[in-house]
Amino acid sequence: MSEVMVQSIGLAKSFGSNEVLRNINMEVRRGEVTCLIGPSGSGKSTFLRCINHLEKHDRGELLVDGVMVGYDLRNGKLYERTSSEIAEARSNIGMVFQRFNLFPHLTALSNVTIGPVKVRGMSSSDAKERATELLRRVGLEEKAEAYPSQLSGGQQQRVAIARALAMDPKLMLFDEPTSALDPELVGEVLDVMKDLAKSGMTMIVVTHEMGFAREVADSVYFMDQGIIYESGDPQEVLVNPQSDRLKSFLSKVL
Amino acid sequence: MSALEEHAENIEVVPVRHPGRIVAGVAMLVLFLMFLHTLISRIPDPQTGAMIWRFRWNIIGQYLFSSLIFHGLLLTIELTVAAMAAGIVLGVVIAVMRISHSRLLSAPAAGYTWFFRGTPVYVQILFWFAAGTLYPTLTLGVPFVHLTVFTFHLNHLTAVEAGIVALSLNEGAYMAEIARAGLISVDEGQMEAASSIGMKRVQTLRHVVLPQAMRVIIPPTGNEVISMLKTTSLVSTIGVYELAGVANNISAQNFENVALLETISIWYLAVTTVLSIGQFYLERHFAKGSSRATPETPWQRLRSDVRGIRSKWRLLPTGMTR
Repeated sequence: MSEVMVQSIGLAKSFGSNEVLRNINMEVRRGEVTCLIGPSGSGKSTFLRCINHLEKHDRGELLVDGVMVGYDLRNGKLYERTSSEIAEARSNIGMVFQRFNLFPHLTALSNVTIGPVKVRGMSSSDAKERATELLRRVGLEEKAEAYPSQLSGGQQQRVAIARALAMDPKLMLFDEPTSALDPELVGEVLDVMKDLAKSGMTMIVVTHEMGFAREVADSVYFMDQGIIYESGDPQEVLVNPQSDRLKSFLSKVL
Repeated sequence: MSALEEHAENIEVVPVRHPGRIVAGVAMLVLFLMFLHTLISRIPDPQTGAMIWRFRWNIIGQYLFSSLIFHGLLLTIELTVAAMAAGIVLGVVIAVMRISHSRLLSAPAAGYTWFFRGTPVYVQILFWFAAGTLYPTLTLGVPFVHLTVFTFHLNHLTAVEAGIVALSLNEGAYMAEIARAGLISVDEGQMEAASSIGMKRVQTLRHVVLPQAMRVIIPPTGNEVISMLKTTSLVSTIGVYELAGVANNISAQNFENVALLETISIWYLAVTTVLSIGQFYLERHFAKGSSRATPETPWQRLRSDVRGIRSKWRLLPTGMTR
């Protein structure tokens, strides 16, 4: 068990001629909450998606729990991992999306059980018991039989969090989890995330919620144009910005 | 105080009138009655001069439930079921190949669709009936060594088998496009969400993508089934006595072509009606979780229509408002 959960060294990624990430260095320790902030198009989401290999990085090194993402280093060669190895790795990393991406043809409960049943081969009665407990944890026990279309955005996002937690992830990635929500629904999702942070989950959160970052994060990284400009303790970074870019960004979002 | 507020207590809302609709409605009704009249009218027989049913109802009555027609109908249904079942499986496989990242899979799939959609199904039926002259046998074995898994004798293909092969392969091309439309209609976020919980590509396809694609796939597939029901009549040209073939055969003997065409049309319509009802309930099943309300069943619609009419005629119990 490695003390460092995610380590990124000189990570770079381009879409065609567009360099989205250049030289990203980051270290996330076990049990820490890390917030990534920055203007849209700065590469925050792309970086997050590299961590569970939804995007392939071009250069640099990315390790999750001490294991290289997407590649295997053997005898001085980098072997690309097979899709089932990648799927196995992903099953240990939870991800929550901006647009929830719940499975609309399944009830809230089935959204939570499908992973453990189909990927882990858990019996459906065990999975149901566990899913019910997770839905209770996100405050939606009574919505177990509801379809996503019958839930509010905030409720959908909480089901999505429960779906990710059902796989017992060692790391949770949040990609702007509250950006698609009506303002009055943001709080309920952030509350669930705060509880999760308190329980010791390692979390990387791309967010525009500066209040959440200041209150919950152990460290904050400010990204712009594929580069990390500032990082460190949220009090330092958010209260006492050094670079002009971060100053101008904070003046717009705060 | 506004003009509306002054009368706020007892104000009546007068709906806009549609005189054009009434005129058109009456015209349609007259045309319909005229058509009904032709159905039950009699005309003189061109040969004998005796008065006979314009629509030859007596002949239709004689054949509609005859065992010949009934066997034809059964074969038509069998051909439809066999060709659609094979066509759907083939179509889904080709659609999945088509959206593959590998050109070695997507290019043949595109080629298949191009070929089977680009030639008339009539020609394909005749071709498969005669295919034995091109490839007398198809053998699955290991190349260059004499090891055979199975041999398929194309030159022994019966007319019915040739018809099923032709219709299935043709249908596969159309179903592939329908299935592809369904697959690409599913939001990419669904694939990502499935990947993020560790599902593999095949699992994602089976448990996440296909069930959602079904909502897009079913209506045009219902269309294809109904279309196939009637396309099977083309295999009568290679001597298969399905519904149209049987009718042809009978009218060659009694010269009552029109009456027999009417007879089989009644059967085609009857089966189409049953299929449409099946499609309706299938669509309702796959609409689960859809943000739109599931469509009403005919019975539910009838009840809500009755409610609507009652409220229009103010037959509501007192105290209720419109």
